[in-house]
Amino acid sequence: MSATAGASAPAPTSQGFGRVLVLVYAVFAVAATARAGVQLIRDWHEAPLAYALSAFAAAVYVVATVSLARRGRGSRTVAWTAVTVELVGVLAVGAFSFFRPDLFPEATVWSHLGEGYGYVPLVLPFVGLWWLRHTRPQPRS
Amino acid sequence: MLLPLTVTVLLLCAALLAWAVWFAVRDRAVVLRQLWGASVVEAALLVQIAVAGVLAAQGRHAADGVTFWGYQVTALMILPFAALWAFAERTRWSSVVLAVAAATVMFLEYRMLQIWAVA
Repeated sequence: MSATAGASAPAPTSQGFGRVLVLVYAVFAVAATARAGVQLIRDWHEAPLAYALSAFAAAVYVVATVSLARRGRGSRTVAWTAVTVELVGVLAVGAFSFFRPDLFPEATVWSHLGEGYGYVPLVLPFVGLWWLRHTRPQPRS
Repeated sequence: MLLPLTVTVLLLCAALLAWAVWFAVRDRAVVLRQLWGASVVEAALLVQIAVAGVLAAQGRHAADGVTFWGYQVTALMILPFAALWAFAERTRWSSVVLAVAAATVMFLEYRMLQIWAVA
């Protein structure tokens, strides 16, 4: 049954453990979007860079969630890109927030490597990359 | 009034979390009875929203109203979404999905407690 993956079958990236991964990504997509929305609408002038990065992080999580939940080669490419950007983002923003705290007077999801979120934002992209590699299509012999 | 309610929601979520983790460990998928459990949590969340709304109408707001209501609405949405998402998967991972959802609601309740306590 599993050998004949029809068009209606769910994407391999959203099956099994992938179900959990997509849910966690969805939670972060909602959390980051809500946070960025509040920051951008209410106190944009307090920390433009931090809040612009919050909005960027939110967009990355949304794209990663959707592309992991969908099937197809295109979605897989998008997912690879989104999760890689996420990894670079959390490491870069995390490092900058330690060395140049003046640039980040207000916290973002990625500040201090996601400390405010139990470091899940730091672990998530590694798990995402592992999962994409784990579920990559096998060449047929 | 809000504190006992929040503690109630936390305890209900903890029970649902333990139930889901137990199923995941036993390699079982989510069953319909667990979704009834999730709807009990949802009912408690609705009562919490009503009480918070009455308190806000009386002028007793949370320190950060926008964030508080954001958490409140998000907490309400998580379990129904996770239930649909979990039920499409008939393996132990559906139980893990329910467990993660319950833990997320607990985290949101904890944050709400913090924001409200500041007021």
